Amino acid sequence: MFQNRAEALALALPAAVFAAIVFLAPVVILLAEGFRSADSWSLVAYVDFFTDPLNRTVFLRTFRLGLMVTAVSAVIGYAAAFAIVNLSPRNKGQMIGLVVLPLMISSVARTYAWIVILGRTGIVNQALQLIGLSDEPIRFLFTETAVFIGLLQLFLPLMILSLISALENMPKDAIPAARVLGANWFQVFWKVILPLTKEGLVIGGTLVFTGSLTAYITPAILGGSKVLMLETLLYQRVTVASDFVSASVIAFILIVMSFAANLLLKRLATARNKR
Amino acid sequence: MKKILLASSALLLVGANAASAQEKTLTISVYGFAQDAFKELVYTPFEAKCGCKLVVETGNSVERLAKMEANKASPVVDMAVVSMADALSASRAGLIEKIDNTKLTNFNKLYDIAKDPNGDGMSVGYTFYATSIVYRSDKMEVNSWADLLDEKNASHVAFPNVTTNQGPPALYMVGEAIGKNTPDLKEAIAAVGAKKDDIVTFYVKSSQLVQLMQQEEIWAAPIGRFSWEGFTKLGLPIKWAAPKEGQTGGMNVMVLTKGAKNQDLALEFMDFWLSTEIQTALAEKLVDSPANKDVKVAPEIAENLTYGEETVKSLKLIPSAVALDNREAWLSEWNAQVGQ
Repeated sequence: MFQNRAEALALALPAAVFAAIVFLAPVVILLAEGFRSADSWSLVAYVDFFTDPLNRTVFLRTFRLGLMVTAVSAVIGYAAAFAIVNLSPRNKGQMIGLVVLPLMISSVARTYAWIVILGRTGIVNQALQLIGLSDEPIRFLFTETAVFIGLLQLFLPLMILSLISALENMPKDAIPAARVLGANWFQVFWKVILPLTKEGLVIGGTLVFTGSLTAYITPAILGGSKVLMLETLLYQRVTVASDFVSASVIAFILIVMSFAANLLLKRLATARNKR
Repeated sequence: MKKILLASSALLLVGANAASAQEKTLTISVYGFAQDAFKELVYTPFEAKCGCKLVVETGNSVERLAKMEANKASPVVDMAVVSMADALSASRAGLIEKIDNTKLTNFNKLYDIAKDPNGDGMSVGYTFYATSIVYRSDKMEVNSWADLLDEKNASHVAFPNVTTNQGPPALYMVGEAIGKNTPDLKEAIAAVGAKKDDIVTFYVKSSQLVQLMQQEEIWAAPIGRFSWEGFTKLGLPIKWAAPKEGQTGGMNVMVLTKGAKNQDLALEFMDFWLSTEIQTALAEKLVDSPANKDVKVAPEIAENLTYGEETVKSLKLIPSAVALDNREAWLSEWNAQVGQ
């Protein structure tokens, strides 16, 4: 497109400088804090962080919830995306609109709605009692279950949208061809659909996993301090203890986890490709 | 060349003079709460009175203290309002200076506990609040702070997180109730920790509680008096407890930045804020309970405030030094007993 590389670089320079000054530099300064100890570089802050049992619990919980939300949203997402791409164009547009709709509502409002829905007198408990599955209200609020449901609802649309675009790019006759050649539906999914849509899964998975790790409002409102996650712990360290070192450690862990998830998913995708 | 230099420096001087004649500025640092009301009742009238301009910085106390610390060498803020414990922390960090109370004409109108809350002459209280238990009187009875942890009640209680302003005072009163009150709050935290699976939530924002009360998610919660009004509008049988151990609470104070550029103006502003007129106006709008004992308000207003000599005298406040020296230990004890 460009005559020479210099031209392209010159065009990219302003944006790169801007990003370096207002984003990269502050992040590096912030993260460096976690590797300093008494004027020298060290990993003491990280060792301290992981020796505290509470921090380990919170780290594992964050990781576990992130994985569960990603896995469940992939399962529901495939089903939903598959149903949507097979609709007529008009219906498809409407359905995509419905999927996108929650993204237009503030996550604070959405999360507060869950407080009403999941409450002791909320619709879920009423329904459970009505059909006789439970005699008295079950406590959902301020549990891991509530955080899981909140995060799933928050990020599922991202997974569905990524998978819809992946499924649309898949050759239309791939599935009939596989069926004609005798594949059952499980084989069709595993050997045809999954390999052909893995890009979408990687993008969706990364968005959902990273989103779940770094969400603040949902764990803060639906989990509260009984279900601390890394984000809510970070906030606590800064506002209560003015402990910027631990905060920097947590921030670094979150960044590493996000990158690792992305790399891992990409690796899985290419590994399947080679076979 | 010389002429130009002379002319430009003359111009500069004129410019500087014009600016100072035109505007004295006072920079204040306050909580980001009820700013519309403060602007109408305090800031604008003061600007009119002093012929100066107020620059208002807002934020939570951690942010604002961090900023003051960062600008220690050349302070930006002239005066700040913080909690009692934060005032002591700022004083230990050498960020603030003694308040010359002879320059505060309203000083003698203050309740005694507001005159010098930390006993170091570095701060003056301008408002306080009681902390007690709001509860559903048809569901339970609260006569003691220990009733919150009672077998029947604990699963309907929201307790303040130790990280909130209400957390340590509430724990302090629980300790009082179980007869094991030490500055480290160890026994109180253990008592709450023993019920952590029953207790509905350890709340961080009191604004959430009204909804939880309305949904019958909770029947009781320790709150500051400033959150009380919302509960009275629910149309439910709700009461403010008078536990036998008493009520606790907190106080907010004014401090003067060390090396501030406009100290006299800052003192003038403090005096204005503490005046009977302004304190009455703030009380009537339910913004802040008065620290000035000359303030008289109607009973229906007083109902929503922490008001009157008796109430003020009965408040059991945690001494700032205790709060400051134990904050970190409380948090790690809490995280170990309750947080997991």
